[in-house]
Amino acid sequence: MIRNELSSKKPLTILEKIEESLERLNDKMEVMIEIQRNNGNDSNPKNTPFLPDASLDVMTLLSMPDHLRKTAMTICRCGRATAEEISGQTTRARAVESAYLNQLVIMGYLKKQRKGRKAYFYVDRESQS
Amino acid sequence: MSKIIAVHSYKGGTGKTSISVNLAASFVKMGKKVCIFDLDFRAPSLFAILKTPNAEYWFNDYLNNTCEISQALVDLSSRIPGDGKFYACLANPATEAIRDMSSKDRKWEMRALGRLLALKEALLRDQKFDYLVFDTSPGLQYSSINAIVAADFVVVATTGDRSDVDGTKRMLAELYNLFEKKTGVVFNKVLDPSATAKRAEMQQKVKTDYHVPLLGMVPCFCEILRAEGNFIFVQDKPDHPFTKIMAETANKIANDEID
Repeated sequence: MIRNELSSKKPLTILEKIEESLERLNDKMEVMIEIQRNNGNDSNPKNTPFLPDASLDVMTLLSMPDHLRKTAMTICRCGRATAEEISGQTTRARAVESAYLNQLVIMGYLKKQRKGRKAYFYVDRESQS
Repeated sequence: MSKIIAVHSYKGGTGKTSISVNLAASFVKMGKKVCIFDLDFRAPSLFAILKTPNAEYWFNDYLNNTCEISQALVDLSSRIPGDGKFYACLANPATEAIRDMSSKDRKWEMRALGRLLALKEALLRDQKFDYLVFDTSPGLQYSSINAIVAADFVVVATTGDRSDVDGTKRMLAELYNLFEKKTGVVFNKVLDPSATAKRAEMQQKVKTDYHVPLLGMVPCFCEILRAEGNFIFVQDKPDHPFTKIMAETANKIANDEID
């Protein structure tokens, strides 16, 4: 009986891990697609210094390219949200918001935390002292 | 629907504080629960205008995260009898406090934006305030841009002065539009606005120059200058044309009659 349980649980655990890895891979691919799409543009994050814990203040918001500002403004208002929740407010596709949010994470403006299958993005205002 | 309203201008002396106080008071007269905030930390003025008793905590303290917002509110409801509630949250006028606020870094300003955004939950949602009115400092300063980002609606005070018109145009294009803010203009200190031709000309000017709705046109009233900010004008002079203009402006904002 125990053997049966183990044999039924193991594949499920493996599948969940595969799914999680695929989601991470998908996030990374979305960022790469976004970087490629904006190639040659000033908004290319390759041209932007990536600072750990860069401050997402209003002057930074003002200097951002329009597409990133919209996402950054929305996360500022929400405090903490998933790409889906942000997409609900900006009316852009979830995958697009996911790419922009990940870009903001790479640039050091946002933090990302995984909880189960969901990825939450937030502005870490308190730890930046 | 409850709102945060930021009153801003490109230049100083356009009448921001007078418009903020009297717009807030007009909402209170409509029976609303309102709080006015002094965000001009470099030249605080609401403390003197509203002649409030000494506050235990200032708005500075809330932004510095050393008190809760409820501790920094001063209840002034008795100044405007009726069903409305009137509160103020004041900037500390002490020189030391002004110096302290002038030396804040970007990270502090980022946290201050978070504290301003948190007012939506703390006051609009939890304490059922109808309107929060931010009286800001002029031009592009951190405190005023923070206020604009946190606001749902921006009232821009402007005069006919050429430098003010040019600067306001730039701010509309490069600040409010970038933040996708709903904006309306109050044309202040207008000379001879009673002439129909003048009124039509001003309306057209706002439409073509600023591309935003005109909320109100305020003539250059000597009575307001004579009052020297000594009282809440719309409360003390209920039949004055300025009181009517402020009531109309408040109604337009309350009823979302802004195209």
